[in-house]
Amino acid sequence: MCTLSPRPSPIAVAPALLLVVISLWEVCAARRDAASAPGDAAWHAAGERVRAGYRPGDLIVFAPAWIDPVGRKELGDLIPLAVAARMDAARYGRIWEVAIRGARSPDTAGLEPVQAEDHDGVSVRRYERAPAIVVSDVLERLPAATADGARPALELAEVGFAPHRCLQISPAPGTPLRITFPQLPLGKELVGYVGIADVFSRRDVRSPSRLDVELAGEIIASATAGVDDGWVRFAAVTPPGAADVTFVVRATDANRRICFAAEARQ
Amino acid sequence: MSERPGETAAERVPASERKPASSRAKRLIGGALALIATIVVVVNQRDVGIARDEVVYMQNGAHYADWWVGLVTLDHGISEKSVTQTFGGPGATDNNREHPPLMKTLFGLSEKLLHRTLGVAGEVTAFRLPAAIMHGVLVLLAYAMVLELWGTAQAIVAALLLVFLPRAVFHAGLACFDAPAMTLWFATIYAYRRGLDGRRWPWQVGVLWGLALATKHTALLLPFALGAHYLIVAWRVRPQLAGATRAARVLAAVRAVIGYRWRVIVSLAVLGPLTLYVLWPWLWFDPVHHVRDWLAFHTNHVHYNYEYLGRNWNAPRFPWHVALVTTLFTVPVATLAAAAAGTGVWIAERTRRAAGAPELLLALSAAASAGPFFFGTTPIFGAEKHWMPVLPTICIAAAVGAVWAARTAAGTMATLRPARAHLAGRLAIGVIAGSVVLAAAVETQVAEPYALTWYNALAGGAPGGADLGMNRQFWGVAARGVLARLAAEAPATGTRFVYTHDASPAWGTYQRQGLVPRTLVDAGWEQGGIDRSQLALVIHERHFNRHDYLIWSSYGTVQPIYVLCTGGVPIVSVYRRPAK
Repeated sequence: MCTLSPRPSPIAVAPALLLVVISLWEVCAARRDAASAPGDAAWHAAGERVRAGYRPGDLIVFAPAWIDPVGRKELGDLIPLAVAARMDAARYGRIWEVAIRGARSPDTAGLEPVQAEDHDGVSVRRYERAPAIVVSDVLERLPAATADGARPALELAEVGFAPHRCLQISPAPGTPLRITFPQLPLGKELVGYVGIADVFSRRDVRSPSRLDVELAGEIIASATAGVDDGWVRFAAVTPPGAADVTFVVRATDANRRICFAAEARQ
Repeated sequence: MSERPGETAAERVPASERKPASSRAKRLIGGALALIATIVVVVNQRDVGIARDEVVYMQNGAHYADWWVGLVTLDHGISEKSVTQTFGGPGATDNNREHPPLMKTLFGLSEKLLHRTLGVAGEVTAFRLPAAIMHGVLVLLAYAMVLELWGTAQAIVAALLLVFLPRAVFHAGLACFDAPAMTLWFATIYAYRRGLDGRRWPWQVGVLWGLALATKHTALLLPFALGAHYLIVAWRVRPQLAGATRAARVLAAVRAVIGYRWRVIVSLAVLGPLTLYVLWPWLWFDPVHHVRDWLAFHTNHVHYNYEYLGRNWNAPRFPWHVALVTTLFTVPVATLAAAAAGTGVWIAERTRRAAGAPELLLALSAAASAGPFFFGTTPIFGAEKHWMPVLPTICIAAAVGAVWAARTAAGTMATLRPARAHLAGRLAIGVIAGSVVLAAAVETQVAEPYALTWYNALAGGAPGGADLGMNRQFWGVAARGVLARLAAEAPATGTRFVYTHDASPAWGTYQRQGLVPRTLVDAGWEQGGIDRSQLALVIHERHFNRHDYLIWSSYGTVQPIYVLCTGGVPIVSVYRRPAK
C-alpha cells in the first residue's frame, strides 16, 4: 500500500478527504431529503388552483403514485369513487395532474400540458385531448347479462394494488364460465382489462387466469392475467351496432377472483 | 502490536506497557458508550408505536415471567400441564411457542419489576427495556473486541457507529427479538474468538450461543460462521510435515483441525443446546417433537408481503440482491464508505495479523447472517432486521477504515510538519472519524421515530426510498402518530368505533397509555369492522391498499381527513365517515 512508503504521497490523504466529503454530503443530503417533499401550504395552494379550474367530469391524478393519499386529502371531494376506480383514463378529455419531484402519471403519458404551474414544489398541469366516446360499458349493463354459472358481481376491487370497478367472478377450476351481454351497443373498438383481485389469494394461488371475448361465436380478443401482471389490457376492432358479446373466463384453481371491465368505444 | 502508518508515538506503546489508569479509563469509556446506546434507544422508543407482533411478545412474556416467579417462590411446581398452558399447546402458535422464550421472559420480568412493582417505568417502556439494555451490551462488546484488536480510537468509533444506526436503534427499542438476537450473535462471536486462546474451559461460547438460540432461531446459522472460521484457522496452524507421505500429511492435518481448540467445539455442541433446553420449559417435555415443531414453523413460514424495488414480493423466487441493496440503503452512507475502506485495510493486512484471523471471523459472521437471503427462497419480509448481525461487522470495519484513513492522512501531513505529528494524528481522527459519526448521527435523527420508512442519503431519504419502490413500513407502528388526531374526534361520552387496521392488537395498550380515549372503540377486522366504524385508519403498505378501497366503498368517499407523513411520504391515512 502506498502508506508503507517512508515518504507518503500526497495522494494518501485522498481516502480521508473522500470520507469527509461523503460525510458532509450525507449530513446535508439527509436533511435536504427529509425536507424535500412539499408541505401542507404548497399542497393547499395547488389544490386551490385545481379547484378554480375544475369542471365536473375532469380527471385528477397524482404523481408519483405514493403521494396519492396526500392528493386525495386535498382534492378527494372532487374525485368520485367511479373515477378513482376507473378502468382507464381514455374517457377523460381534461386531466389535472398534481405532481411532485418531477413525476408524471401514467395517465398523462405522451400528452403535453396546456397549462402548468408550480406551487412551492407541487406542480399543477392540465392536459386536454379528445376523449374516447363510450358507446356502452359492461359494468352498467350487468343486470342484462346472462351467465352459464355464477353471476359476476360489480365490485370495487384491488387489482395489481390499484382500485378498479370491475365485474368479479370466480369460475370453477377448469370449467369456462360464459357471461353474455345481449345486444351490447358496439362502436369501432372494444377495450377492456382483466386482472386477479385480492393480494392474498394471488400469493397463495399462483396460477394465471384467462379471458376470451367472443363476438358472434368467434374470439375477437384474449388476455391472460398472471398473479403479478396487474390490470391487463385487451382490445378488439368491432363492427358498429348491437351484438351479443360473451366474456369467457377460465381459472385452473378455485377461488380465483377474476375481475374484468370493458367499454365499447366509438 | 504492529506499527501502523499514521500512528502517534503514544499509540505505538504496547498495550501491556500502558499505564493502568489508561485501562481503567478505557473501561469507563466502554461503559459510558454502552450507557449512551441504551439511553438513546430508551429515549427514542417513547415515540415509536407498538408493533403488531410486539403485543404478542409482551403478553406472553408477562405469562412466562409469572410462571418463573411462581416456580421460584414455590407457588407451583413443574408439571407438563402448567408448562403447556404457559409455553405451548397443540397449535403451532399457541402461547407463541414458535419463538423461544428468553427475551420474552426478560420483557415480562422487567415489566413486572419496573412497572407493576416499583412503578418507575411505564408499561411499554418497562417491556422494552431489556432489548434496549441488550443494545448497550452489543456496543460494549464491540468496543471491547475492537479495543483489544485494533485500538482505542477504532473502538470508540465502532461503538458510536453502532449507536447511530437508524434501523438498529429502532429495532432495539421494541420488545422484539431482532436486536437482542444481533447482540447475542455477536456475543457468541466475541466469546468464540476469546475461546480460541487455548483456555481450559471455554464455556462462555456455548452458553452464549445457547442464549442466542433461546432468543431467535436465526442463531442456528452461527455454526456456519464459526465452523468455517475454525476450519480455516486450524488448517493454517497444521504441522508442515516436509517429506512425509501424503497420507501422513492428511492424517496430521485432520488431527490438527480436530485437536486445534476442541473444547470450543464441545462447548458449542453441549452447552449451546443445553442452555436452550434449560431456558425453554416447552422443551422439558417431548423435546424432540417440540424442537421439530419450532424449526418446521420457520422452514415453512408464510411469505408476508414486502415491497422491494417497485414490486410487491410475497412468493419466491426473490431477487438474490435483496439483502445487499437493502443494507446499502439502510446503513448510513458514510459508515458504508468507511467500511469499504476498512475492508480494504483488512485485505491488505491479512498476512500481518494471522492469529485468530478476527477480520475473517467478522466477515464470516456477516456472511452467515445474510447468506440465506441470497438464495431467493428465504422469506425476505423482515428485511434488515433478519440479517442485523451484519451490522457489527460493518461498523467495526468502518471504524478501522475511518481511523486508517485519518492516520494515513496525518502521516502524510507529518512529513511536512514533523513537530506536529502527534497533534496531527489526533486531529485527523477527530475530524475524519468524527465526520463519519456525525453523518450517521444526523441520519439517525432524521429517521426516527419512523425509521422503517427511512432510507439513507444514497437512496434519497424517505421520499427517495418511496420513489425506488422500497418497503414503506411494517407492523403498524406508525399508527402511534395519528392517535392524537383520532383523539380529537373522540366523543366526550358514548362510543365511536374506529377501524384500527394494523394497530388493532395495540389498541388496548394505547388506551391504557392514555393515548386514545376509551370512547374510541376498536371496530373489528376487515369489512365488518369498516362497516361498523365512524373513523378508519390505513397504515400504508402497498399490499394494504385494499384497505383504502374497502373504506372508500363503505364511506362513499376517497378523501381522508388526515395523512401522516414522514419526510413527505404518507404512512397513515385517517378517514371519517361523512355525515348522511
